[in-house]
Amino acid sequence: MPDIKVTPLGAGQDVGRSCILVSIGGKNIMLDCGMHMGYNDDRRFPDFSYVTQNGRLTEFLDCVIISHFHLDHCGALPYMSEMVGYDGPIYMTHPTKAICPILLEDFRKITVDKKGETNFFTSQMIKDCMKKVVPLNLHQTVQVDEELEIKAYYAGHVLGAAMFQIKVGSESVVYTGDYNMTPDRHLGAAWIDKCRPDLLISESTYATTIRDSKRCRERDFLKKVHETVERGGKVLIPVFALGRAQELCILLETFWERMNLKAPIYFSTGLTEKANHYYKLFITWTNQKIRKTFVQRNMFEFKHIKAFDRSYADNPGPMVVFATPGMLHAGQSLQIFKKWAGNEKNMLIMPGYCVQGTVGHKILNGQKKLEMEGRATLDVKLQVEYMSFSAHADAKGIMQLIRMAEPRNMLLVHGEAKKMEFLKDKIEQEFSISCYMPANGETTTIVTNPSVPVDISLNLLKREMALGGPLPDAKRPRTMHGTLIMKDNSLRLVSPEQALKELGLSEHQLRFTCRVQLHDPHSDTDTLGRIYTHLKSVLKSYSIQHVPDGTVIVESIVIKVTSSAEEPNLKVLLLSWSYQDEELGSFLSTLLKNGLPS
Amino acid sequence: MDSDCLSLLPAVCLVLADPKQSPPDDTSLEKLLDWFKELHIQSNGQVLLQHQPCLLEFISSVCTSKTTDPAIISFTLKFTGLLAATKQGFNLLEEGDLLLCAFEREACYVCDLWEDASVRSGWLQGLLNMLKHQNALDFICGNGLIKVVLQLQNDRSLFVASLANQLLVHILNFLTSLNMTNGSDAVGSSVSSLRSDWVSVSSEIMNAVVEALRSEDHPRVLLGLRLLSLVLSQCGEPIRSTLWKDVLVPLEVLINRGSESLTQTLMTVLQAAVRTSLLGQSEYKVEELLEAMLGDGNRKGVFSFSLSLSFSPEISKRKATGIILLPLQCVSTQPQTEVETNLVLNEQLSQKALCISLLMQSLSSLAELAHTKYLFEDISIHSITSSVVLLLRMCSGHYPSSLLHINASIHLIGCCKVQRCGLDTLGALSFYEENVDLRKDIFDVLLDFLQSPDSHATVLKKTFQATVRWIAVCSPFPDLLQFISHDLFPVLEKRMWDLRWEVRDSTLEFITQLTAALNGNSGFTEALHTSGMVSVLLSSLADTEGYVRASAVAAVGEAVTASFHQATLERNSNLLEKALTQMMIVLSQDTEVFPRRAVVKAFTSWLKGSHPLTALDSSLSSVLSLGGNDFDWEVKMHTLELAEVLMEKTLTCCPYMQNVDFSEKTCLTQALSRLKDFGLFDLLFNSLFDCDRPVCEKACALLVRLRTLTAETADLDHSALVLNVCGNRWGDEVQRRYLKKQQAKASVCATDGATGSDERTDSELHCIKDISLPTILQILDLNDMQRMLMLSSDHVVNSPQSLMEDILSAAQQSEENIVDCY
Repeated sequence: MPDIKVTPLGAGQDVGRSCILVSIGGKNIMLDCGMHMGYNDDRRFPDFSYVTQNGRLTEFLDCVIISHFHLDHCGALPYMSEMVGYDGPIYMTHPTKAICPILLEDFRKITVDKKGETNFFTSQMIKDCMKKVVPLNLHQTVQVDEELEIKAYYAGHVLGAAMFQIKVGSESVVYTGDYNMTPDRHLGAAWIDKCRPDLLISESTYATTIRDSKRCRERDFLKKVHETVERGGKVLIPVFALGRAQELCILLETFWERMNLKAPIYFSTGLTEKANHYYKLFITWTNQKIRKTFVQRNMFEFKHIKAFDRSYADNPGPMVVFATPGMLHAGQSLQIFKKWAGNEKNMLIMPGYCVQGTVGHKILNGQKKLEMEGRATLDVKLQVEYMSFSAHADAKGIMQLIRMAEPRNMLLVHGEAKKMEFLKDKIEQEFSISCYMPANGETTTIVTNPSVPVDISLNLLKREMALGGPLPDAKRPRTMHGTLIMKDNSLRLVSPEQALKELGLSEHQLRFTCRVQLHDPHSDTDTLGRIYTHLKSVLKSYSIQHVPDGTVIVESIVIKVTSSAEEPNLKVLLLSWSYQDEELGSFLSTLLKNGLPS
Repeated sequence: MDSDCLSLLPAVCLVLADPKQSPPDDTSLEKLLDWFKELHIQSNGQVLLQHQPCLLEFISSVCTSKTTDPAIISFTLKFTGLLAATKQGFNLLEEGDLLLCAFEREACYVCDLWEDASVRSGWLQGLLNMLKHQNALDFICGNGLIKVVLQLQNDRSLFVASLANQLLVHILNFLTSLNMTNGSDAVGSSVSSLRSDWVSVSSEIMNAVVEALRSEDHPRVLLGLRLLSLVLSQCGEPIRSTLWKDVLVPLEVLINRGSESLTQTLMTVLQAAVRTSLLGQSEYKVEELLEAMLGDGNRKGVFSFSLSLSFSPEISKRKATGIILLPLQCVSTQPQTEVETNLVLNEQLSQKALCISLLMQSLSSLAELAHTKYLFEDISIHSITSSVVLLLRMCSGHYPSSLLHINASIHLIGCCKVQRCGLDTLGALSFYEENVDLRKDIFDVLLDFLQSPDSHATVLKKTFQATVRWIAVCSPFPDLLQFISHDLFPVLEKRMWDLRWEVRDSTLEFITQLTAALNGNSGFTEALHTSGMVSVLLSSLADTEGYVRASAVAAVGEAVTASFHQATLERNSNLLEKALTQMMIVLSQDTEVFPRRAVVKAFTSWLKGSHPLTALDSSLSSVLSLGGNDFDWEVKMHTLELAEVLMEKTLTCCPYMQNVDFSEKTCLTQALSRLKDFGLFDLLFNSLFDCDRPVCEKACALLVRLRTLTAETADLDHSALVLNVCGNRWGDEVQRRYLKKQQAKASVCATDGATGSDERTDSELHCIKDISLPTILQILDLNDMQRMLMLSSDHVVNSPQSLMEDILSAAQQSEENIVDCY
């Protein structure tokens, strides 16, 4: 039986670096190629030596697909393509291709700056890797080769994020990457066809969470910022260049407008322009509201948010500053933090993940005294808030996607084992499909039952119609007989006659024969006459002929009588019938074995 | 070991052992283990165990608890193994029955936790960590753990199975090494000379391999073969030959059966055998098996195998290279050359996917051989190269009608995979000097790809790479320039207007490489100018794509460098002038970092060159000021590198003071004042207080050099080197420090009772606007700053103390920060 094999090298029962190998219809595909930011050695990358024994990835992999620009999904890409060596195609959406190198470059800068960092890619490698990327549009079916095709669907989550359908023949897999089933301020909700894939590989970050309404979280955020600004405090929001930063900017911009607030909002150097440029460029990827208002006003041209200069940090009075990097581990965000940490009127809002060892991580864990660069300790008096704004589907959303796509099997990745277990049970119960959750390095095999398309000859169809019966109905499968011809990679069902003609073969008939011994004290001709009469009485609806050459014929069955000179009373009946009358032939032989009526 | 770390350890152990606590951040445990490993290497491990009873308690409580998280169990198993790696540690753990408690066979199965792959992997890693001495081996053997390891060889997790194999090999190796240290001569000895209980262990492992090879169960055979190849490559005698003798018969059966799914693994086994002393000993039949395996070369994946064999002179390398070349020849050789017709191969080549895969393997194996300048015996390198050229022609749709394999050629038209692979191989074939005779054909086919409107961007990139290699080896030939100016340049010009940024960028990168490779070739430089290429390069500086603009900056930079050699040409074209104007626009206005970085790098490279460039002087101060104030710290770093070169050039050769017989100090004063005019000191001081550590570090290092220089020259004219310290960040810092110093001085004077009339009041001190450079350098405590920067946070704090603090504080944190993406 054909099967689909899935082996996660990363994201199997964890939220680390996503890298999933799928083997379908003889094709090998790598889904995402992420990096773990928490390590500073080779452990940050998936171990590609498990992909193929001889190390030649180009020969083994048919393509690599990247779902979106977050580094846990694309961070190892330049390492794989330029350092390990992969020359084949890499697919991602247009926005992902545009934004991915910015984030890779951002992270490379942080990494190379670290002491003792080795084995990391260069700017040139990022560029060379991007040259191998084939960008694609939503709902565009791309033919990787003659057999393998892929198609991208909108995933929400971040700008350019996509779910991918991978199809070889009639077998298919859908990989969601990270997705979000509820629209947010700037992005829409994920959507997919009822494509009934053999397997749906879904992220399960929030497998057990039914997230409180997004509006609630937003109100909470705005309230906290507002309160701080009202009492004259400063708010620092460390962010990465792209993604959440834009969403929060829209949120504050509208709030400021509505409340007519005067406190300045700043965005740190150089990044706003570039990021907003992409949001403007890929306006079609944002949600309907943003697209609609675009004509009157571009949501990403902020009125209240200004570029930040480092001297502003010392200005008196309230302000809100978005500064990079997001984990407070270097650069401007760390510098501002050091200035503001001592004042309890100020506030720090952390909207994202922080690697162990960073100031951001320490503060989120409640550390109040930080040792800075071997100098005196820094007292953290400002208020610290963690606000997760990340746009993942929650348990409800995941179930909703299953209902949309109607997969035959389900496989969970990108989540914690315990939470996955819970969701797995729920899915199996509700949808009666198998749900898998392989750990990293474990292979899940899904047996498929592919429907093989066959062309049917018109003549055969006409003949079938001529035989009567109900008209063809797509929902009621019906058996048809014919001869299957496999030629030039295509399958055709034709009538036996046509097959013989096409293939230039002559017809052979297969006949079964059998001998039945019978005691009958009559002449051979009389015995045959008696047989004729007996059969006439038993098989009333059949056409039975007594042919003058000394045979009785029932359908295709031929019966002859012989006897030897030594024992004239012992008759040997010779029966012969064709394959089609197998049943009737056996019946007659049994009938005659029982003798003739006297 | 840090006492702070030791004091935190008990609390960390308590947190980790507490089943109610969720385990810390997924990297924390790994990092903690890294630290313990480091301690172990420094042989502090046993000391640690002796002085930290909390560790034993920790292991005991984790191993006896049924509710511990799998991540913690896995960590504990690895950690226990690490502690048991020394005899002393082992004994301590054994005394407390902790080893059995952690690794005991029964314990493994009873708990559900064993279902978790991380626990199984931790168990194996623990044993692997432990196996450094005889007691550990006795422990493993005596408790029947080998059986578990053998079962784990078949684990559903790739990682666990591979670790199990490693452990088995390590055990076998360890047995041999122990035997050697116990006095036996390993080479002459057999397995039977091992200690009897070890014999049973080694036979258990080896029997498992033999049985696996005899099995009808395919996955089991694969496992056996994998372990066999590991033993062959990693174990010594007598294990190797003993096992080989045992597996020879089933191995022969497997090879002769010719199952395709086993080919790859069987080849790995034979490859390992070839590298051992088994080769050449007739009773081990390695050569026979090789011959059988190579067969007619039709087996899938036989290429990489052949590739490795082609380097071992002992065996039939002709056959091996023959196999590598066969698909290539079969497709791209004309019938008159009579390549042995191979029916199976022909059949394979007529199927598209197989044909492409075979050719790719053939080509990449050939490229690997070419990189080593491999000597082919039966076939000339000319013929091979011609085949590759013909194959590439077929890929772009041209093929001679007399070809053997028409089907294959249909598959190849427009096939990017084969094109890329073939171009790589063609590039690699430039290693053979004799191939330069074929340069016409080679350049023709390369030009074909460059011209073809159907060429994929990645194919064009590979074409450029191959072209650069061939141009480099053909540079002495006079016809090359003709090719470049008449054929290549017009194509390149067209490519620079390609719609795909990838193509425009690769073209510019190629021109840069070409210009650098032919640097000093006056004919080339002239062609570059007369062909109009230069103006196309200049217009590319305004490309819509940042990457392309950066490559254009580099290409223009290289073109300017090349034109330095031809002063007349340079004067006529005004290239430098035009380049400077446009590059300054890029540096001041470009919204992307790559072009800005490239501009500063171009200046550095010009300045480094041997030609004195007075024309640059007018732009240098702008570059230093713009670069120093850039948003991107790498632009700043490049600017500081430029500053470094400028300092070196100005301070060492002082070219501006020629013909004047000044004293040394006047010379230095002039040079420094020139640097001041360039704004170099502003740049350095500004950068010293930057928010990015590498920038501060670099600036600090340069300032320390300046300080040394000014300190060494006693009578510098300070008045010529006065800097305005008002109105900028660094100036405020200098003023603050100056003030502090003066106040200290004043207070010393006051206590001495001296009141000089020249003493300034506090208010006067605030008004100081101008301070001389040497004074500023003295005021700033550069050594202390440098020390601090070295100590700096390094972005992510890696110290074990910080790690443990993080684990502890995470445990105190009541609310969970939901995992998030980044």
